[in-house]
Amino acid sequence: MKRNLNMLSVALVLAGLVFSSCKKDKVEGNDEEVITTMQLTFVPSGGGTTLVYDYDDPDGPGGTAPTIDEIVLSPLKTYSVTLTLLNKTVTPAEDITTEISDEADAHRFYFAASSSSNLLISGLDDDPNGVPLGLTSSWTTGPVATGTVKITLRHYPGTPPNKAIGDLVNSTKSGTDIEVTFNTKIQ
Amino acid sequence: MTCLLLFLQFISLKKSAFIILLSLLGLTLQAQLCTLKLSGHLEDADTREKLVGAVVTIRELGMKIVTDDKGDFVFEHLCPGPYSLYITHVDCDPMEKVITLSKDTHLDLNMPHARKSLGEVVIEAQKGVPNTGFKQELAGKALEETKGFSLAEALSRINGITQLQTGSTISKPVIHGLHGSRILTINNGVRQEGQQWGNEHAPEIDPFIADKLVVIKGVDELKYGSDAIAGVILVEPRPLRLQTGHAAEFNTAYFSNNNQYVVSGTWEEQVKKWTGFRYRLQGTFKKGANIQTPNYRLNNTANEELNFSVTAGWKKDRFNAELYYSQFNTKVGIFTGSHIGNLTDLLTAIAAPKPDDVFLGQNSYSINRPYQDVTHHLAKLKSTFYKGEHRFNVLVAAQINNRKEYDIVRSSTNTRPQLDLSILTLSQDIQWEQPRKNHFSGTTGIAATQQNNTYGGRYFIPNYDAYTFGGYLIQKWSKHDWEIQGGLRYDHKTIQTRRLKYGGDTINNNFNFSTFAASTNVIYKPSAKWRTNLGISLSSRAPYVNELLSDGIHHGTATYERGDIFLKPEKAFHLTGNINYQSGPFQLDWVLYTHFIRDFIYQQPVPDSPVLTIAGAFPLIKYSQTNALLMGSDLAFVWKFSPQLEWQSKVSILFARNQKTNDWLILMPSHRLSNELVYNFKEGKRLSESYISLEWQDVMRQSQVPSDKNGKQDYKAPPPSYHLLHLNASTTVQLGKQKITFSITGRNLLNTVYREYLNSMRYFTDEMGRNIGLRIRVPIGKTKS
Repeated sequence: MKRNLNMLSVALVLAGLVFSSCKKDKVEGNDEEVITTMQLTFVPSGGGTTLVYDYDDPDGPGGTAPTIDEIVLSPLKTYSVTLTLLNKTVTPAEDITTEISDEADAHRFYFAASSSSNLLISGLDDDPNGVPLGLTSSWTTGPVATGTVKITLRHYPGTPPNKAIGDLVNSTKSGTDIEVTFNTKIQ
Repeated sequence: MTCLLLFLQFISLKKSAFIILLSLLGLTLQAQLCTLKLSGHLEDADTREKLVGAVVTIRELGMKIVTDDKGDFVFEHLCPGPYSLYITHVDCDPMEKVITLSKDTHLDLNMPHARKSLGEVVIEAQKGVPNTGFKQELAGKALEETKGFSLAEALSRINGITQLQTGSTISKPVIHGLHGSRILTINNGVRQEGQQWGNEHAPEIDPFIADKLVVIKGVDELKYGSDAIAGVILVEPRPLRLQTGHAAEFNTAYFSNNNQYVVSGTWEEQVKKWTGFRYRLQGTFKKGANIQTPNYRLNNTANEELNFSVTAGWKKDRFNAELYYSQFNTKVGIFTGSHIGNLTDLLTAIAAPKPDDVFLGQNSYSINRPYQDVTHHLAKLKSTFYKGEHRFNVLVAAQINNRKEYDIVRSSTNTRPQLDLSILTLSQDIQWEQPRKNHFSGTTGIAATQQNNTYGGRYFIPNYDAYTFGGYLIQKWSKHDWEIQGGLRYDHKTIQTRRLKYGGDTINNNFNFSTFAASTNVIYKPSAKWRTNLGISLSSRAPYVNELLSDGIHHGTATYERGDIFLKPEKAFHLTGNINYQSGPFQLDWVLYTHFIRDFIYQQPVPDSPVLTIAGAFPLIKYSQTNALLMGSDLAFVWKFSPQLEWQSKVSILFARNQKTNDWLILMPSHRLSNELVYNFKEGKRLSESYISLEWQDVMRQSQVPSDKNGKQDYKAPPPSYHLLHLNASTTVQLGKQKITFSITGRNLLNTVYREYLNSMRYFTDEMGRNIGLRIRVPIGKTKS
């Protein structure tokens, strides 16, 4: 009995030493939560070239710093703007915009143009409850100017989300998923 | 040499008329020739505890001596010659030892545990003081008062121990300001290999397993690792039953604050048919709803826990083995209002005097995102065999720890965890305990550990394999009033990491660390009342994987944490002094300590290089090294005014300096003081062990925090000092043959609004309000002889 157990102990010690040969690695699975890219598509009303500007950080947070396009628009025009969110860490890139529109009542984009930018952003689309969402919007340019636009995506974690028209960008009800600042130029 | 024997024979043979004459002759002879001294020291062969109160008889002379509190005995004025000693102790089988005395002789004897001794008596013996250097323990009444609380909260009743918390449900112990991987937790003899990466990772141990919680420092640390910089926590279950029959215990508790209930049960048996076979089954279930602060209830702070363990033991004369399996499962909600998207949000939330109403007010047991789901499995086989008086222990253990963290996600259909870490650890220890000889005893051992981590989801730490090999040597010498102990340990650790990035890139890093530890202790007991102890230790800890390679956003603190692959092991020098006085109604225990830690690893904010992400800029925090100096003192005092009334006082003081920046170290516990008045009722016919106690706890404001001269170090100034009133009361009722213990615990009786510096939720919320707990304990025992 005693000898058997001694042998068993020795066997277990040895088993421990060889265990490392049977390991398997999982690949990083950031597929669902990373937003690497915000793409703004500008369609001028009354015809003209469609413009696309990106905030792009294809390796996600950390690593290589993101590249941020300058938004260059023509003066005294109205653009209808569509916002797209992508995850480029997977191939092909995943469109996250549908996740936002599926749960529109728990999300809200805010657009804050600096006063020097000569930009007026309005006409945000609504969620099913009639509260602004912001996946589409209308940007009207003034005379030649430079400035910034800060775009913030807020997420309401509460159940129910209690999203309301009067909620400010810094409402304590919601948290920030995206906060991106573009330089703008009207020329 | 024969004088005494002859004398004895004369007595038995000759007529009484000669007796007086011969006695006188005998005494004269004795005075002339019999000057030898026989001294000895007794220890329990199993527990290595000193055997106090053992009766040593010299059969030939009928002389009896009871061993003193050091386990020592001395016979003087003996004549040369053969003697047979007969030794008895309540816990042990009687022992017979024949010696021939020709000069002064010292014997070191190990007495084996009685195979049929009473289980209860064995437990009492276990509570004695084994000859370890620095030791503090929580057992009996003090441990009962913490049943239903977390392991860290239970430990925080020990002077010098505080907790680092994330809300009220996640907490980890802090010893003298140090926590995490600087503390080794030994769960039923096995070094716990869980996931102690962050401040929000609590130890994965069911406190109901423990019969006592012990904190040790000094020489005995070396048995567990060279990296026990702050100390070792032993979670010790009761030894398995030795006596034939079975016993059970049922515990239940209810806590008013969060409607938490706890049910725990134990069943143990020694089967009559198979002498030597014993087993125990144990399980705990705990479920609590959202936590209530004095002014509001915090949503998503519920928790649940389900744990069980199975132990089977086999004991023969010269061999025993124990097979053990335990499983720990917990699911803990994290207050929704503390999950922060970016720095702007964090600053807004911190500036608010209280969290937004959407995060408050639900009285519910449901746990939503964000939450943690942790499972820990432990299996071990420990066998002990004896070769002569030498004892060998072989311990083999396997642990699997799986931690899943569920963050707030955009899509409510997403049911996957965002962080999924699995760690497998195998460990082997072989230990040789040499018998006590010429005042020396010792333990020598080798240990090996293999560990494998895999992760899925968000990157936090890489996949890795780690191998540790180590060896140690401990020697203890004791004689009369003196005890000297010393030990050495060396460990070598190899870590191979692989990060498989989503683009298909692989980042590999390999590390090799050698760590060395040494420790010595000198204990002097000038009298039964006084015990002084001085210890000097060196210990070193290899950097952990998270310190080397973490790289990502920490949502709890809205920071970007980055490791450093060039970190070196921390090297610590400790100087500890202890004075203990016990006499009549007074007890005093005073510890003074200094820890100097070279290359102390800590998180240093780097304010001028924020990391830009799509969620905004996050302040960078980098794992860095400095030289740290920690000095402090723990004082505990008990004064029994009368058999009924006693006053207990505890003071704990700590100063912690960062020597490179010449500033204070962040996140250190503040000075604290507690006073407790206990009234023990007289034993009654129906009610026994009844007492009521009131405790007044003062916690000072932490004013020793790093200044902002090297950039912003913290988001919010430490909270003000606070004062809490707690209550404990208990009684045991005799109902026929059944005993039932009822007890009440009241924490924060005055419903004081306060925040604790070491709780990361202090940025957002107040601490838990009044919490009244009711406990019932029913022991059921049956003994066959």
